[in-house]
Amino acid sequence: MSGGSRSTGAPGPSRRPGSPWSSPWVLVPTVVGLVVAVVLLVAGNPQGLRFTVPLATVVGVAGVGLGLVALAVLMLRRALARARAAGAAQAREVERVAHRRFLDRLDHELKNPLTAIHAAAASVSATTTDDDRHSPVAVIDAQAARMGRLVGDLRKIAALDSQPIEQEPVDVEALAEDVVSAVQEELAVQGELAGQGAAGRDITVALPRVPWPLPPVRGDVDLLFVALYNVLSNAVKFSPEGARIELRGFEEEGAVVLEVADSGAGIPPDEVSFVWDELARGSNTRGVQGSGLGLAMVHAVVRRHGGQVQLSSRLGHGTSVRLRLPTARG
Amino acid sequence: MTAPGAGAASAAVPGPDSTRPAVLLVDDEEAITGALAPFLERSGFEVRVAHDGQEALDTLDVWHADVVVSDVMMPRLDGRELVRRLRTRDDWTPVVLLTQVGESFERSAALDEGADDYLNKPFNPQELASRIRAVLRRSVGGEKPLSAADRLVSGDLLVDRTARRVFLAGAEVVLTPRASLLLDYLMTHPRELHTRERLLQALWGFDLVPSTRAVDHRVAEIRRVLHDDAGAPRYVETVPNLGYRFCGQVRRA
Repeated sequence: MSGGSRSTGAPGPSRRPGSPWSSPWVLVPTVVGLVVAVVLLVAGNPQGLRFTVPLATVVGVAGVGLGLVALAVLMLRRALARARAAGAAQAREVERVAHRRFLDRLDHELKNPLTAIHAAAASVSATTTDDDRHSPVAVIDAQAARMGRLVGDLRKIAALDSQPIEQEPVDVEALAEDVVSAVQEELAVQGELAGQGAAGRDITVALPRVPWPLPPVRGDVDLLFVALYNVLSNAVKFSPEGARIELRGFEEEGAVVLEVADSGAGIPPDEVSFVWDELARGSNTRGVQGSGLGLAMVHAVVRRHGGQVQLSSRLGHGTSVRLRLPTARG
Repeated sequence: MTAPGAGAASAAVPGPDSTRPAVLLVDDEEAITGALAPFLERSGFEVRVAHDGQEALDTLDVWHADVVVSDVMMPRLDGRELVRRLRTRDDWTPVVLLTQVGESFERSAALDEGADDYLNKPFNPQELASRIRAVLRRSVGGEKPLSAADRLVSGDLLVDRTARRVFLAGAEVVLTPRASLLLDYLMTHPRELHTRERLLQALWGFDLVPSTRAVDHRVAEIRRVLHDDAGAPRYVETVPNLGYRFCGQVRRA
């Protein structure tokens, strides 16, 4: 029950060649030969050519000829497959650009109305002494703020694809430690708010030290923080108190893989392939706060770093998310 | 929701007109000017409205504004062109740009052009009021602001803003792009308290839950590169529980 993994594919050149038969280099000798042959036949020309060839040569030439034909067929097939893949990648890219444009416009069109709502709410609340957080004006303001965040995050995801990002070596171990302590701080604050001390999750981190530690990856440390933070806090959000969560890291063919595994609720199998879409929320997560943008953001960040994401889940058992990031050397 | 930081709202008591700072609000969207102008009036400012950059310039010919608050994208004459025109006619009235796209290029462009500050739409109006007050505190008598300078100096530190290069005691040092944007922002707003949230919003453009530590990391980088001691800072000072402040004396070079 593994989820789909998506990878960034640079659009390759996908010139569609016309039929080779239409080339004059093929057409002219073929037509001329056929015409002359027909003329000779019709004229009843009795002339002929006769020569002998050693059997060894015939066999040799036949073998090489067959080999060449097989080679040509193979090369043709491979070229066709490449063209198809390039076409698919290009179609995906076109789709992504259109999607990004839509999100840009949406963001742009909603900014002014939201700014106006904020201003109107502030203007009204300045005339009243009502300081209640549940007053209608406070609700309007809070909800406008929420919409603003949503729209802003949508645009950020779209912008991630086109904006230049930092290309610095990022220490994966420091990053992981940082993310874990941020999530634990969050948990502690939530626990205090709920009046029950730190709402514990058993987060274990396993990063290799021998034979060597993880190499650095190249990119933007703040964006990578956001990605890993989102994955880890999802794991916390969707698993019960006291549940075990593992953050693992390993090196694999020029990439660092960071895997976050939880023993939480899991994701229904038919929803796994949509988790990376914007605003996708699991049907079994209705009661849990969230915008459905976290994983879309994670995907955008990892894609921008030339990496891949992958999610596997089993309903009732848990979920594992893998981020594969090229190393700074690789 | 309260506005954090520097400009804690002094009372919204309208005084006599001469003591009320004059704000020119420029935006082509009626919904915005219609709602923002009354709010700013109630916050203690005298407000006039213009609907594009050209109308703003015409208004400023006949009316003195202490600060201009302008949208960026407008018909006829946009916000960046408005700042440029003002600066070329040697008018240093502080300008707060309301950036629409919130993209990094627009943020740095806003600063390069000589705007004094900027807010990403949609913003909290309280935040705008406190930004306006902060800008007013900084700007003394229509003098050229630090944000319009090409090069800034503080002690051994020299920042070439146009070339985006940083020198320490004559030797060039290298900061990551974001750290150098942060240093630029702190230096052009010296002795002013900036909350982590404000810096994150203004310079990173994303406000993801706990990542105010991103600000801490870049401050740490600045300190490391500039050999600045957090305990006895020459440049960036930590204001406990609140944020950061550039504590050095900054002058144009």
